[in-house]
Amino acid sequence: MVRGSEMVKISKTLTEILVCPLSKQPLRVCDKSSSLISDAIGVSFPIVDGIPCLVPRDGEIVETEDAPSECKADSFDSKNNHKTT
Amino acid sequence: MNRPTGNLVRSFLRRSFCTAENIDTNLHTSKLQIFDRQLKRKQRDRAAWLINRKDSLVNTVADNLLDRLEDVKKTFPSALCLGGSLEAIRRSVRGRGGIEKLIMMDSSYDMVKLCKDAEKDYSSDNIETSFMVGDEEFLPIKESSVDLVISCLGLHWTNDLPGAMIQSRLALKPDGLFLAAIFGGETLKELRIACTIAHMEREGGVSPRISPLAQVRDAGNLLTRAGFTLPGVDVDEYQVRYNSALELIEHLRAMGETNALVNRIKFLKRDTALATAAVYESMFAAEDGTIPATFQVIYMTGWREHESQQKAKRRGSATVSFMDIQKEFGGQTS
Repeated sequence: MVRGSEMVKISKTLTEILVCPLSKQPLRVCDKSSSLISDAIGVSFPIVDGIPCLVPRDGEIVETEDAPSECKADSFDSKNNHKTT
Repeated sequence: MNRPTGNLVRSFLRRSFCTAENIDTNLHTSKLQIFDRQLKRKQRDRAAWLINRKDSLVNTVADNLLDRLEDVKKTFPSALCLGGSLEAIRRSVRGRGGIEKLIMMDSSYDMVKLCKDAEKDYSSDNIETSFMVGDEEFLPIKESSVDLVISCLGLHWTNDLPGAMIQSRLALKPDGLFLAAIFGGETLKELRIACTIAHMEREGGVSPRISPLAQVRDAGNLLTRAGFTLPGVDVDEYQVRYNSALELIEHLRAMGETNALVNRIKFLKRDTALATAAVYESMFAAEDGTIPATFQVIYMTGWREHESQQKAKRRGSATVSFMDIQKEFGGQTS
């Protein structure tokens, strides 16, 4: 699953330490919309040019119905396994 | 822009009762809002384009702050650098503190982007850097994940300084170090006086033009209130000389340090501005015609608690009397 420029590239260091700024809960990467999603509060934060923007104001509320279909669950832990499929 | 009219009218109505248009949408309405964080982001975006890499004030402060890393034997493999003079910190690290991973955060995207683009210039020092946009008041960092938090001239713009410091402490691993430099209350005292006089004279009243800043005596309390152990505070005062008061304002703008108070009056009349410059020059100008401006920087250090750190013994746990100590050593000193 190689998408070239569309692929979300954020460093491993960041994926290890970033959490949702509001709930402090883990985030997951959404490749399709290139954003980080906080499931705890249903907000997505954009990744612009490889830089995650985690200011609460930059976040957008994710519509709950289409969130699971639009963004396949790529949690940080299962990310590598997911890519090989 | 393309909001439905109902919303527009509503937001207009709300706006007309409120001095700050962003206050109603702010996440913590109950909390006291002193600074307009959104405006500060914009100012920092602008500062990213105006940045002066040879700014001696910023470079000195960054260097002074990082110098403290050489006083400790501990190394800090992972470090988080919070907003403020981000770029100057990156330039001044130069292998100090054994930093291997550096995470740079700022509330302004342009500022972070600038640092990211400049990264190729520092590829020689083998520091793995990552970049993110974040707000110090809502720190998106997992608990106990970094060894060092550096904040150089950024935290004095937070509405909730203790809160931001508590979040930094939580982000630190046990025995991690928090290093911060903020502007203190004596900063720009000349400008404060000149602004007040000119406003009184031209407009018959005063509006806030310069931020309230932490005093030195508050800094120690802040550190202990945020739960840091072994707190340390020291102060430095810098005098910068400018050719004119307008150059001072330009310098502030390049640092992203212009007025971001929620209750500010959003325009400055031209003649008031000129009067301020004139008052400044007549009251404070040196003999050679230069204009001095004071910058007071408060350096704060604190550690996240760890059992290996020294601490005071419990009250009443002493087993030796001071009388005995005096008997033992008293003879030698006299």
